[in-house]
This record gives sequence, C-alpha cells and structure tokens, in this order.
Amino acid sequence: MKQVLNDAKVKYTLRAIGLIMLILAFLLLVPSVQAAFPEKPIKIVVYTGPGGLIDISARKFAGVASKYVDVNFVVENKPGAGGIVALKKVIQAPADGYNLYACTKSNIAKFVQVGGSDYLDALSWTAMLMADPECVITNGTQDLHQWPQIVENALQQPGEQNWVGPAAGGLDHVTALKIWDAYGMDAKWIPFKSGGKALAALLGEQGVAYVGNPRDALGNPDLHIAAVSSPERLEAFPDVPTFTELGMVGLENEYMWRGFALKKGTPPEVVQWYDALFKQVTADPEWISFWGKGGIDVKYVAEKEFTAQVKKDAEVFEYYLRKSNIIQGEAEGILAIIATGTTFNVLSLLLVLTWLSVSYGVYRSDYSAITGRVMIIGFFLVVSILFLVQSLNFPNGSAVGPAAVPRLWIFMLIPLNLLLLYKTFRNVAEISESGPRVDIVLNFIGFLVGYLLVMQVLGYFLSTFGFIIAGLYYLGYRKWRNVFIISASWILFSYLIFYKTLYVPLPLGTLFERIF
Amino acid sequence: MAELFGNLIDGLTFVTGIIPILTITLGVIMGIIAGATPGLSPSMGVALLVPFTYAMSPTLALILLVAIYIAANYGGSITAVTINAPGTPSSVVTAFDGYPLTKKGKPGLALGVSLVASTVGGIIGTLILIFFSGPLAKFALKFHPAEYFALAIFGLTTVASLGGKNWIKAFIAAMFGLLLNTVGIDPISGVSRFTFGFSFLYDGFALIPALIGLFALSEIFKQLEGGDFSSQQVAPGKQEWPTASTYWKLKNTIMRSSFMGTIIGIFPGAGATIAAFISYDVTKRMSKTPEEFGKGSLEGVAAAEGANSSSVGGALIPLLTLGIPGSASTAVLIGALMIHDLTPGPQLFISNPDIIYGLLASLLIANIILLVLGFFGARLWIKVTTIPKTVLFPLIFAVSIIGSFAVRNSFFDVAACLAFGIFGWLLRRYNYPVAPIILGMVLGNIAETNFIRAVMMGGWTVFFTRPLSLGMLVVAAASFAVPLIQARKQK
Repeated sequence: MKQVLNDAKVKYTLRAIGLIMLILAFLLLVPSVQAAFPEKPIKIVVYTGPGGLIDISARKFAGVASKYVDVNFVVENKPGAGGIVALKKVIQAPADGYNLYACTKSNIAKFVQVGGSDYLDALSWTAMLMADPECVITNGTQDLHQWPQIVENALQQPGEQNWVGPAAGGLDHVTALKIWDAYGMDAKWIPFKSGGKALAALLGEQGVAYVGNPRDALGNPDLHIAAVSSPERLEAFPDVPTFTELGMVGLENEYMWRGFALKKGTPPEVVQWYDALFKQVTADPEWISFWGKGGIDVKYVAEKEFTAQVKKDAEVFEYYLRKSNIIQGEAEGILAIIATGTTFNVLSLLLVLTWLSVSYGVYRSDYSAITGRVMIIGFFLVVSILFLVQSLNFPNGSAVGPAAVPRLWIFMLIPLNLLLLYKTFRNVAEISESGPRVDIVLNFIGFLVGYLLVMQVLGYFLSTFGFIIAGLYYLGYRKWRNVFIISASWILFSYLIFYKTLYVPLPLGTLFERIF
Repeated sequence: MAELFGNLIDGLTFVTGIIPILTITLGVIMGIIAGATPGLSPSMGVALLVPFTYAMSPTLALILLVAIYIAANYGGSITAVTINAPGTPSSVVTAFDGYPLTKKGKPGLALGVSLVASTVGGIIGTLILIFFSGPLAKFALKFHPAEYFALAIFGLTTVASLGGKNWIKAFIAAMFGLLLNTVGIDPISGVSRFTFGFSFLYDGFALIPALIGLFALSEIFKQLEGGDFSSQQVAPGKQEWPTASTYWKLKNTIMRSSFMGTIIGIFPGAGATIAAFISYDVTKRMSKTPEEFGKGSLEGVAAAEGANSSSVGGALIPLLTLGIPGSASTAVLIGALMIHDLTPGPQLFISNPDIIYGLLASLLIANIILLVLGFFGARLWIKVTTIPKTVLFPLIFAVSIIGSFAVRNSFFDVAACLAFGIFGWLLRRYNYPVAPIILGMVLGNIAETNFIRAVMMGGWTVFFTRPLSLGMLVVAAASFAVPLIQARKQK
C-alpha cells in the first residue's frame, strides 16, 4: 500500500516538474517570439476617480483582455479637469503604446472647450468599444412624466421647466440642448455635481426631466425612461419608445461612446496589436453579457470611422458650447481688457510692488513691530483685488453669473481686512514677539524646496533617502545607525505600499528615465 | 418588522463566520492605516481596493469595503491627535482638542475618547440606518437646494464661535477659504475661473494638501521657530487613559453628536466634515466648560468623532434606499456593486436581501472589531508621540509630501501643500485660526452651487419662502450673532 502511494507520489512529482519546466520553457520562448510589444505592463489611463462607468469599463477591459494576451494591465486613475490631466499624462509620455487613454465623448466637450483642436489632434482615436444611447428619464410618481406631455408643457411655458443633470457643457447638457432645439422648446438646465445627485433631485420632484444613460434608471422603480435616442428600441428596455416613434426625426443617434485612444505617432505594429486585441475583447461573451444587461451597446469601431465621429462630435460641441456662452469669445470693453493678457500682468506687478513698498515703509516707520501683520493683511487685499479684476471678464450666467459668488466673498474680505488694518494700527502696543529661531524655519523651507527640485532629476526614492538623512542630521540627530535604518525603512515602506500596492506613480526622475 | 429582524439575523449569522470576520478585520486594519495616512482618504482607501474585490463574492467584497470605510473615518483621528495632521478632512475638528491634549502630555485621553466616540457613533448611525432608512430617505429627497445652502451657511456660522476673540481673523480665514474654493472650472456655468491659464488649476485646490500644509507643516514650522525640537512631544512612560467614568460623563455628548452626524450625513454631499463642525459648535455652546474647547476638551473630541463616524451610517441611507451616493466613498461603493453586476437602489432589497442585510450586519460587527483593535492599537500609536522630534519632523515632511502627491498624482499638489504650510505658519504667527480656511474650502462649493441652483429653480425669494430653509437660516443667524454679542459683553 505504502509502495503504491509512493509510486503515485513520484509520478505526480515528475508530472509537476515536467509541467513547471514546460511553463518555464514557454515563458522563456514567448518573449523571444514576440519580443516587440508588449514587454512591460500597459497602463490604462482613466480620467475619473475609481468607480465611474469609464473606470469600470477600463477595469473590465483589463480583465477580459488578459484572457487573450499575456500582459499586465494596470488601471491608473488620473482625475482632473474633465480629462485634461489624464490627456497630458498620455501625450507627455513617449508614443510607444504603453499608455492607453480610456476616453469618452465627454472628453471631446472638454477638449474643445479648453484646448481647441490641439488636444484632439494629439491623440489617435484607436477604437470605440461601446455606445449607449442618451435618454430622457422622468420621475414616474410625478404627473408630468410622459414625453408628449412634457413637450406640451414646455411649449406652453417657455424657459420654466427645470431639467436636471450633470455639469453644464457636458454631453448630457448638450444633448438636452439638441432635444430642445429639435422641438423648438426652451427649458432650464440645472447642473448637479454628478448624475447621481441630479437623479436625487429628480426623485425629490425638483425637476421634470433628467438626461443621461438608460442604465441610470435601473435601480429605482420610480424612475421612468420617457424616450430614448436610438434608431430602434433597446433590447434591455423594450417598453421605452424612441424619439423617432414619438414623431421626431434627427434625434435617433445621440449617444455616449467610450473607447480607447493612443498618442499620435504610435508605431503601426503596436496599433495592429491593439486592433487585434480590441476585436477579440469585443467578441468575448463575458464582455458582451456584462454590458448587455445594462442596455449598453457593445461595438467595435476602428480608427478611421472613430476619428471621423470624433471630428463630427467636436463640431457639434463647439457650436452648442459657444451658443450657451461656455466657450468665451474675445474679451470686449475696457473692463475685460484690464482682466486679460499683458494689462493684467502689469497690474499684478504694480499691486505686488505697492504691497512690498508699503510693507517696507511700515517696517522703517515707528510701526515696525506690526510689519508682519500688515503684510498678511496686504496679501489678502492684493489677492482680493486681483481676483476681483479677473472676475470682470467672466461671462454672464442665466440667473446668477459665475462672478457673483466669488465677488460676494471678495466684498466681505476687503472690508474685514480694512477693519483689521485699522484695529492693528490702533493696538500697536500689544504685539507678541516672534520665536527665536526663524532662521531654522527658513533654512528648512529652502531645504524642502531643494528636495522637491532634486526629486525631478533623481526621482522620489533617491532624493527622499537623502532628504531624511539630511533632515535628521540638521535637527541634530546623530545616531548614524538609526539614521540609515529610519531612512531605508521609509523608502521601503513608500515603495511597497505607495508604489507597488497603491500604484501611486512616484516620479523616478528624469535621470533614471534617460538611462533606462 | 419581523421580516426585518429575520433578515438581520440571517445577515448576522453570515457575517459571524470565520471568513467574513477575517475579512472585516483585514478591512479595519487597512482602513485605519488609510485613514491615518494624510493623503489617503476613506474614499481612496475604498477605491484602491475595488480592483482587489473582483475575485470575491459580492457580499464579501462589500463587507471589506465598508469595513475600510468605517475604520478610515476613525483612523484620521489618530494622526490628528498625535501629530496635528488630520488624516481626513472630518478629523480636522478632532485635532482642535485632541492635539492640545497631546501637548499637555495626555494623548491617551484623546485617543481613548476618540475611539469610543467613533465606535458608539458608528453603531448608532448603523442602527438609525437599519430602522429608519425608508422615512429618512424620503425626507432627504425633499431637501431643496435652498436648504443645502442654508445648511452650508449654518456650517459657516460655526466660525463665529471658533474664532472667539479673533473673530475678524477667523472670518477673513473663512472667506479666503471660500474664495480659494472658487478657483477652477465653475461647476454651474462650466467657465474656468481664476485659473490664469494654468491647466493644473482647472480642478482647483485639492483639500488634502491644504489640510496637511495648514495643520501638520505649519505646526512643525511653529515648533522649529520656537527652537523647541530637541525633546519628544510626550515623555515616554506611563500614559493616562480614560476611565469608565470619563466615558460615562461624555454619554450625552456622544449620543447627541451621533444623531446629528447621522442626520447631516444623509444629505448627499454634505457629509462628515460639516457634521463634525456643527456638532462641535453645538457641544461647545451646551457645555458647562466652553472655555476648555480648543485647549483640550474631551467633550470636543467626543463631539467631533461621534459626528463624523455616525455620518457613515447616514451616508449609506441614500445609497441603499435610492441608489444615490451620499459621499465620495459611497460613490465608490456604487462602482463596486456595479462591477459585481448589481444595481444599487431599492430593487436590491428585493433582489438580493442577503447582500443588503449582510452589509448592515457587517457595519455593526466592523464597529465592534474596530473598538477591540483600536483599544490595543491605541497603545501602539501613542508611541508616535514619544518619538524624538528630531526624528519625527523629517518623517512628517516625508509623509506630507507623499500624501499630497498621492491625492491626484500631481506635483502641483505637493507644491501647494508646502505653500499652505508656509502660509499657515505665517497666519498662526499672527493669531489667525487656520481651520476656517478648511471649512471655507469644504463649504464653498456646496454653498455656491446650491445658492445658484436655488435661484435658478425658484427665484431670489426661495430661501425665505420655504419653511425649512427659512428656519435653518434663522438658526444660523442666531448662532452667528450670539457668540459675538457674548464676546462684546465680556469686554
């Protein structure tokens, strides 16, 4: 019995060894067969924080794609400025295909608004993978929730209906504008911080309609999809009529798309590699069923057609963003001229010089004890005035313009500071002494600035290692063994936790990037 | 009701298994670390783990994420107390009294009270979530932008009592915070404001670098300036911990702040920070020893922590009942649900009650595990206060820099953090309180967007024609005026 067991053991051990060797051979062979691309992990750059639909798309894509290719996909969230931050990350990296930009139609709106065609031309639009039609969602518990009644109501009282949705100038807003144009109606767009918050307002009966993705209506039975902007009814929502059925032509193709873009100039063989992968993923049953349930249309649109689509979208966005005053025209009038360009720079310089010379005057006067206080007050005043001047150039909004609230704060800051200035001059006597070692603080600040500058060249790890050692030394800590242990453990900690586990892309420094 | 208890018991039976308990424990540990590290907020802690929860069952994944969320809210108070570096925006308020206690050599008292107030608050918030989520969610939906604006103004009026004698400076700081908050793309009109053409300003100033700079860095600069860096913050040796009677004396404070935290937490977007500020302010007014506040009052610590931890329960109410996120962290939870092919919202109660009740039960268990781990942990992290300052200061700088970079992976935030540090140091030199800047940065957006929305929807008079909004504005006006009148009388 024992013999048999041992035999079996030997057999399994041999098999296991054989298998391992096979895998090793495979691993060794594979890179040499297709050493070209990819030879390191691929970053999928997502322009929102984790949790949104585009983030989920990127992560799901990474999961499905790794079935077909032996490469590690790392999703990197680079939120900010509606995609500009992520875009800059991609276009500042080399065009080697290792940074895949996960894009949506909303990016186009932002690119058009901020960078014009420069940003659009910096990318090559590799593949569109998903498109979901836009729809109008209403609150089923309100009387006004069917599309024809909403239109009728809007035509009766132009500009009175409240529509809720995400930020102004985004895709959903522009879709609403198009719908209004098509029906010749007018309503108010009340923007919320996110689609979710706008839906809450819809449920709270603060608005009549919401524009967004059909998927948004899934979780709550009170939400009713009034009309969808697709050529035919959606499989997932068979009861929802299309605009075409409701008698409106021209609204059958308003959809949100998601896809991937690469930096322009990526080598053709890399693009081909991606094309093959995108085809495989979009045909994958797991991919199709995951999105299909939410009414999202999985498709594959290749570069040429996708680029044409992007161009078309950009034109439409530009038209509506100009119309609704979000893209600002050239500055007009004397006030606007002060707020822009060279005039503004000269003005800023003058203000700062005034601030410094007044402070110096106070310092040389009998009031020298309050110089610091006066400088702080002066700082607040200078900032207030500069911001006030800038706000002259903001366009007028519908009810309360973008300048109103900042000006409110400024108009409170200025008198409060003047009051404080008056009080400060009156109570010169009760001024406390500053600490004895301002020099140490100033040295330390200089030291920190130096550290940040060195980090650009030497990278985070090396410069931080040096910084901690130098910092400990400067403050008078002399146990050398501990100094090295502390510094090395911090480096190890930040490498393992921040760099490796949390994927915080700590800078490696230009020096290292040149060498490797 | 019987069905509710039945479901809840099913949920409890599930989460008391070995694997769920281990998952919760793991989540709590990770959450404490994420919360205590400035720059890693609860929402990031939760978000960073979403990919790891792919392979798990949806219930386990949610349990893990919720445990992190809860523990991170507490974790923020650890660094707030020990090194004046609030790990999360809501623990700014904990630092008001927690750090003075450390300076007095009594960090144990602050750590003990913050732990107990956190966990009791967390449990109260969860119980309210379990029993009253339905009606509360309906109430929350009726909240008009006018009421949000009134709530934000109410939050701002806490500056009057925060500032005390220096109320002008406190207001200047708050207004400056509000003004800084307007930098970036205007959320209503989409116009870019005060960006001076720099794309890194489009999203404005991130809160965390400001928080680290104004609190942690400015504190180090201040101590360096005082030439006081050769010793430890607290001499090693026996520490003072709160006794049962200390906790008992705080029972009313903890209960009150927990209720307030849960209620304020419900309103999407308002969240833990406002809850902590308002609760602190109310507690100070009701206290028999208001003069202790800001100098190391245990009531102050309890008020802050009770409110910010109970707001977790509140924030989950709109998420579970309506499918609408109440905070950044819950927005990530929605993403996690979607990745597991679940659609958050009322349907989930019917389609997957096991998940909902497993989640609710795990909230209770997570708080208990947090209490146990925190109890032993506090003995460990109190050691931070006994590290020699010569070692501590360079390490705090290192944490600040990596923390502010991690927020958006951007160097601009690191530079901003340093600038805020220098600015905060200068302000504090001349007796400006820095907390109102943070309050302004937190409230600015809520106040402005809701003000504009309210006017767009109902005209200029809407604030006074809606009873709830009018009532809140009256309370706000009173809470603004009373401390100023009192201060004048004392003169």
